[in-house]
Amino acid sequence: MKRSNFVLGTVSGFALVANTSHIFARALAQSPVQGLPGGNDRVLVLLNLQGGNDGLNTVVPHGNQRYYQLRPGLAIEPNAVLRIDDQIGFNPALKSFKAMYDKGEVALVQGVGYPNPDLSHFRSTEIWQTAAPDRYLHSGWLGRYIDEAKLPANNLFNGVAISQLVPEALSSPGVDVPAIASLGSYGLSINKNDGTRNAYSQMLRDRTVPFSSPYLARVMEIEDHAQRGSQELPKLIAGYQTKASYPASALGRSLSLAAQIVGSNLGTRVIYVEHGSFDTHVGQRATHDRLLEEFSNAISAFYDDLAAHGNDKRVLTVTFSEFGRRAAENGSKGTDHGEASPLFMIGGGVKGGVYGDNPVIGQEAFGNVKYTIDFRSVYATVLERWLNRPSQSILAGNFSTIPVLG
Amino acid sequence: MAAQTQIDTGGILRPQGQLEAAPLDPYRGALDERRAAHLLRRTGFGASQADIAKYTGMAAGRAVESLVRFPSTASLPAPENVYSPLAVLQQYGPRGFKDLPLAERRAIQKGIREQELASTVSLQLWWLNRMLATPAPLQERMAFYFHGHFTSTAVQKGVSPALIFAQNQLFRANALGNLRELTRAVSKDPAMLVYLDNASNVAEHPNENFARELMELFTLGVGHYTENDVRESARAWTGWEFDRYTQTAVFNPRRHDDGVKTFLGQTGNFTGDDIVNIIFAQPQCARFFAASLLGTFVYNDPEPRLVDEVAALLRNNDFELAPVVSAILRSNVFYSERAYRALVKSPVEFVVGTYKTLGLPQFDTTILAQLRQMGQVLFYPPNVAGWPGGANWLTSDMMIARQNFLETSVNSQNLAASSWLGSLPMKPKTATQTIVASILQGDASPASLAKLDALISGSGTSALAAFGPENYGQRVSGAAYLAMAAPAFQLN
Repeated sequence: MKRSNFVLGTVSGFALVANTSHIFARALAQSPVQGLPGGNDRVLVLLNLQGGNDGLNTVVPHGNQRYYQLRPGLAIEPNAVLRIDDQIGFNPALKSFKAMYDKGEVALVQGVGYPNPDLSHFRSTEIWQTAAPDRYLHSGWLGRYIDEAKLPANNLFNGVAISQLVPEALSSPGVDVPAIASLGSYGLSINKNDGTRNAYSQMLRDRTVPFSSPYLARVMEIEDHAQRGSQELPKLIAGYQTKASYPASALGRSLSLAAQIVGSNLGTRVIYVEHGSFDTHVGQRATHDRLLEEFSNAISAFYDDLAAHGNDKRVLTVTFSEFGRRAAENGSKGTDHGEASPLFMIGGGVKGGVYGDNPVIGQEAFGNVKYTIDFRSVYATVLERWLNRPSQSILAGNFSTIPVLG
Repeated sequence: MAAQTQIDTGGILRPQGQLEAAPLDPYRGALDERRAAHLLRRTGFGASQADIAKYTGMAAGRAVESLVRFPSTASLPAPENVYSPLAVLQQYGPRGFKDLPLAERRAIQKGIREQELASTVSLQLWWLNRMLATPAPLQERMAFYFHGHFTSTAVQKGVSPALIFAQNQLFRANALGNLRELTRAVSKDPAMLVYLDNASNVAEHPNENFARELMELFTLGVGHYTENDVRESARAWTGWEFDRYTQTAVFNPRRHDDGVKTFLGQTGNFTGDDIVNIIFAQPQCARFFAASLLGTFVYNDPEPRLVDEVAALLRNNDFELAPVVSAILRSNVFYSERAYRALVKSPVEFVVGTYKTLGLPQFDTTILAQLRQMGQVLFYPPNVAGWPGGANWLTSDMMIARQNFLETSVNSQNLAASSWLGSLPMKPKTATQTIVASILQGDASPASLAKLDALISGSGTSALAAFGPENYGQRVSGAAYLAMAAPAFQLN
């Protein structure tokens, strides 16, 4: 097929050019998404590959000689690569994920990043979560979505974070998302004590306190959420039958819980899951391959489970990582913090294929990969095409969408 | 791309009602129990029952005087083994270290990092226990305020525990000192030089990070300077460096741009000190700090008229904090019903306040994981803008962490360590009243009081044994938990 490019749009004077050699015909045919359930049933799963995933050993540029020059000890051998075409292919640890790709269930978006990359884990994670490279925000892009979409305020589970702490991505003043690391650890310890629990719930509903405070109503509301949420969730999801065999990894457990929440129809629209650490400075191959294999097996079990309940088309999973890694391996058989990397959009009836240009490895000694697609274009796509919300106010700007979902 | 930064003010709420006519006039009455507790919560992370009793009945002026004159804190322990990588770095020197084989270099760096993390943990615990034990609580409250205002973060970017501790001591030493002097000092503080990249701001390649935040977050606020002011200020700050091998800040005249700069309308051969002086001569600088102090001590989002009055005080006192903070803490508006419980306790205020209220002696390391779940880790503010506060502290997972912390704090073993909760009379009514008075200063409805009374007396849903030694721990800890889990206790 002839390589053709089309301009996705302009962000801050930076033209976004997508390599569409793989998907051009289908991208042109975009129209209102067919065959998908109504917008209110759709769920977004945001999967954080935390630590800075090495994009070049995830989607391997096996046709790129410079990749092999810069990675004498780390490159994936050309004949081991699970080929997509004569330029790129998947890491062999992604075997079951490649099978999903072959079935058209995976959109691979190349070269995602943002201007003036910050190589601190902390700040770059914050940038991805707040969608604000130039500002310090305390609210996240999906927190602002939950707020602006006015999801039912009486639903405690509009968003769920399957993590120790609520990530900034799902935070916003006035938005309350529970963090559920596991069902066993979620909740108030006094829930075990019936007498105290009953007195507690009555006390916090007692609104006749002898003072006023601008924050009093919110404190009462949140105390109520804290108590009810942890009591109700186990009951609400108890009826779900898991119909896939998940790997015995943390991510497998997290995605199993995610499928259970989706299948229990709690009205949940956003679920956050994390996997890592991908911060592979030393002895990368073994660690990275294991993390990719865990990802691959967990995500394919997740979609098997979803499909067995007829939920696969209503769950879109989007991965992200705070940055990619440099092309040149370091002296410890690892890689250091880099810039752009690919991300995946999975399920949800995506139009499978490759979006964006294959990575160009910079000419500097360490070989950084520059971004070609602004991460906020991915967010705009999710907000507008999946969650049916205008993205401009949430992202504080106009970002073109990518024709992944039609 | 020009970074037009801004911070959100979401979740920050002003109390309803009108600002009084003379908000800063001194409050004339003696402090009742509620106002005494209010003063001690705002200035020192809460108070014990004995402290509240001591301040009840005192004139506001005298009470404030005793808080702003810090007694000696010499008896408090210094932190142990605050780690500095200095010894390791000096052992090899700049060249020797680079010549080591990579694997050895990495092993040394890994060792440094592990020691830094361990040392940061003990520093966090040390500070919490100092907040709890200090006879000068307002000094710690101000250090905590400055930590969230002039933020730097430990370990990241090579800010060692020794550097973050030195910055912490700088805040403590200047707790009620001169704001202009502190701003000048913190600008040259090694942790700040490293954290906001001023150490890599050199004449040939200016780095604007510090210059921007100095105005945006520390002294003026967005919209009160231009991008050109940021660039010119960055030029004036060039030459300040951080010498890793002595772990000190040094001024290197060869990296300083000594050309003429135009900054906020003035032109001259400015240095960083000149930049601070010019900023503090802007009327907006006094307004910025006035709003910040009012938001810390009185209520969030204060009215412009109130801000202007405090700004005038700051200017008239040449930015000396002691007289200005005293005036705020003595004022009518500070003791008004609108200011009462009008703030949300930060997690640090919440946990230190709980321990002070219960009379528990000391935190152990388990508090650090609990604080993390509540959303606040000392020496790790979320970003350079500090902790946003207000309703941003109110999410169900943070609330679960707060309530579970209360549950561990009132468990029977801790009750025995509590100065008053372990020795209540075996009379349900008296016990209930003491608990509600000490924990909530009576801020509970009659219905809630009745619930607590029923819990302690055992007359609740089913007939239980009368209140006595065999059920004392369970009943009292349950009631103390409920009083502290009440919404009022989350508010400052």
